[in-house]
Amino acid sequence: MTTQTDTTTAETVAEDVPVESQFRRDLRTRWIPRFAGYIAFLLFWDWASGGLIRAQLLPGPLTILEEMWGIVASGELWNHFGSTLRKIGIGWVIAFALGAAIGISMRHPWWDGFFRDWVVTTMSTPGLVFALIAAMIFGFSPVGPIVAIVVTSFAFFTVNIAEGVKALPKDLFDMARAFDVDSRRRLRHVVVPFLAPYIFAAMRYGFSISWKIATLTELFGASRGIGFMMRREYQLFNMSGLLAWIFFFFAFALLLEKVVLQRGIDHFFRWRQTAAT
Amino acid sequence: MTTVATPLPPSPWQKARTFAATPRFARILSIMVFLLAWQFLAPLLPTDLIPAPLRVLQFMWDEVRAITLARANLYEAFGISLRRLAIGFALAFGVGVPVGLLMGVSRSIENFFQDFVVVGLAMPSLVWALLTGIWFGMGDTSPVVTVFLAALPFVIINMFEGVRDVPKDLTDMAAAFRIGRGRTIRHVIMGSLMPFFFASLRYGLANGWKGLVLAEVFASTSGAGWTIQYWRDAHRAQGVFGYALFFVLFALLLERLVFQRLSRRVFRWRPEIVSVNSTAAQAVADETMRDGDRPDEDG
Amino acid sequence: MAEIDINHLNKQFGTGPDSVSALQDVSFTVAGHTLVSIVGPSGCGKSTLLNILSGIETPTSGTVRITENGGDARVGYVFQSARLLPWRTVMDNLMFVQKAQDRSAGERCQRFLDMVHLGDRTESFPGELSGGMQQRVGIARAFSIEPDVLFMDEPFSHLDAITARSLRKELHEMWKATEKTVLFVTHDVGEAVELSNRILVFAAGGKIADDMTIDLPFPRDAADEAVALTKVKVLKRFENMNLIAS
Ligand SMILES: Nc1ncnc2c1ncn2[C@@H]1O[C@H](COP(=O)(O)OP(=O)(O)OP(=O)(O)O)[C@@H](O)[C@H]1O
Ligand SMILES: [Mg+2]
Repeated sequence: MTTQTDTTTAETVAEDVPVESQFRRDLRTRWIPRFAGYIAFLLFWDWASGGLIRAQLLPGPLTILEEMWGIVASGELWNHFGSTLRKIGIGWVIAFALGAAIGISMRHPWWDGFFRDWVVTTMSTPGLVFALIAAMIFGFSPVGPIVAIVVTSFAFFTVNIAEGVKALPKDLFDMARAFDVDSRRRLRHVVVPFLAPYIFAAMRYGFSISWKIATLTELFGASRGIGFMMRREYQLFNMSGLLAWIFFFFAFALLLEKVVLQRGIDHFFRWRQTAAT
Repeated sequence: MTTVATPLPPSPWQKARTFAATPRFARILSIMVFLLAWQFLAPLLPTDLIPAPLRVLQFMWDEVRAITLARANLYEAFGISLRRLAIGFALAFGVGVPVGLLMGVSRSIENFFQDFVVVGLAMPSLVWALLTGIWFGMGDTSPVVTVFLAALPFVIINMFEGVRDVPKDLTDMAAAFRIGRGRTIRHVIMGSLMPFFFASLRYGLANGWKGLVLAEVFASTSGAGWTIQYWRDAHRAQGVFGYALFFVLFALLLERLVFQRLSRRVFRWRPEIVSVNSTAAQAVADETMRDGDRPDEDG
Repeated sequence: MAEIDINHLNKQFGTGPDSVSALQDVSFTVAGHTLVSIVGPSGCGKSTLLNILSGIETPTSGTVRITENGGDARVGYVFQSARLLPWRTVMDNLMFVQKAQDRSAGERCQRFLDMVHLGDRTESFPGELSGGMQQRVGIARAFSIEPDVLFMDEPFSHLDAITARSLRKELHEMWKATEKTVLFVTHDVGEAVELSNRILVFAAGGKIADDMTIDLPFPRDAADEAVALTKVKVLKRFENMNLIAS
């Protein structure tokens, strides 16, 4: 048997490849494409306004900024935003308490059987249904949106918390018991940190659902709130007003969810960051 | 007389008690309690806007037999809605899958689209329903476009995560065994993308359906969403409640008959079964796995 | 018979100040039908070497030649973890790596599954098998393509002692029967002594620290006096080489 040579792996020679700085790479793959995305969007918008859809029906970006400024200056924003936020706050707290209680009780198969169908049903029903019914029953009172929030979002708390309770790690529990840790400290150092991600996931989900359902219910029946203003502008066919309120809605939802809630969650999860590195 | 020591048969009372302790009993009980409370409390309330369950049932029974006062019966209304859903979702799938895949492959493309996808995910379908209503009028276009826009970001994000999740150890394995590109795509990449296709379908359809119903309320003169609004305007509470229950039944049917079966077929290889709790599991996974690449086992 | 020829191989991960040298100026050749064990402390570049040889990674510099009578050598790889496609059955996992999808390939797969005692689990999904069974499927997969060269990266380290022992036996039988060239990474000196003709020792930083030939007749049993003595001798030599400091 003779050995001939046949390269299966290409010959590579070490060479000092010019090192692209981190900054330039970031610029190339992150900031420029991102920026290009915004530019493309604005250009598309500008073209669509007039080109695709009549300009009155899709005002350009500047018109809307003007409108938004007008709403802020007149103080209307705080009036309506505060009203919506209050409803969300109340509804959210009730939904959390109710959802957590049911979720914890579902540890027992009997209560699981008792509640399961309701949880699944409310989760798979379009929010519109609850919004319509709440608006129909409660009319213009602020109770409508609150009830709608509770009914649509408690199931998310329930499911997440029930899931977390079921997944509680037995080994950590046994370890704590083996070390004679009393039940209050067990709760504080084992149960709560373990459940925290489930609870936070539920809180975030619940929050984004609350926003949407509150606005929707206000749309059908309310005398104040962001949804009410959207409805008014919609009926007046005032597109720049409608879009302005939509942008406000969005800005607040993102601000509260991504900044306030996320900050809180990150703060709580410092240990995970350090564990990872 | 001989006495044989047979264990006493359980008395009926004991039997009832054991049955009362089963989850099944709890399930039946909760429905009974709810229905009875509704039936007897509704007339006591100061409003006549909550119909008693029997009236709602009567209404639903009529609808099922296609007897209705509305312009279209149950089957026609849901038929129109389903057609719109199918068209809108097919468009969203056709656009979303390639965009999501490209975003997963290239960082530049990812950054180009990323913020819009994030915003799109957070966008309530209500907004699309209102806007398309103004833009495209009260025809078929508005609901279809709403479904498209509501479903699109969910399709994109799931495909994107899918590409990110293709296990490198398996593609490396295929490379070491000199498997060609086509076979690798078919057996490795597609296999690992399957759950994500499925999630696209599920979340995309769910969100598309919600958007569709809203668009029909605000921007259409036909379909299931329009009909529920019609009953509200006619002040027929039993109509609103009845249609609400039809929506629930429809969603459950879709979940049981389509998704559960499909997922059992597609995920035959997975030991654990995808359950109703997948939403929660998904939420927790979102929370805990964000951006965290799965650790590689062999270095 | 397959031969491996490695010349001045270097591998660096990353660039600039925080780059890591995984391999430094590695050169060696392996003749046909040899089973070479590669041992060394964790992180010394053993997996990296196999990844380069199998084409998963490219070297920073240096050359690699793997030849089979002048032609391209078929390569099989048993990874540190099983790396099976979870959505394919055991049989389909083996068929996935076959060149030709014909009956003879199917029969061959069946034969190697029989050899690892999994001939009756062909229609199972990997998720339904134990960790050891999955690893055995991985081994059968590597053998089923009848490779000229076989790379094995700590294939038995996740297994219990009893399974590992019986798999070592099977590996030895298959190696003897098929006359392959095998590169076998392991942490277990006993395993290396029991299985191989030659042991390559790597030191931290990816340099070759020692190259010894084990000249004992097969089959070897860990309980044999000669094997045990050799193991002690190898361990003694390790102590004298400062392997961890680079
Ligand atoms: N993809 C990679 N990127 C950066 N560094 C890497 C990569 N792969 C390996 N390394 C580094 O190269 C070195 C050698 O790694 P390798 O996996 O080859 O070690 P090993 O000898 O197989 O260790 P073990 O016995 O623990 O499996 C390590 O310092 C590791 O950190
Ligand atoms: Mg290794």
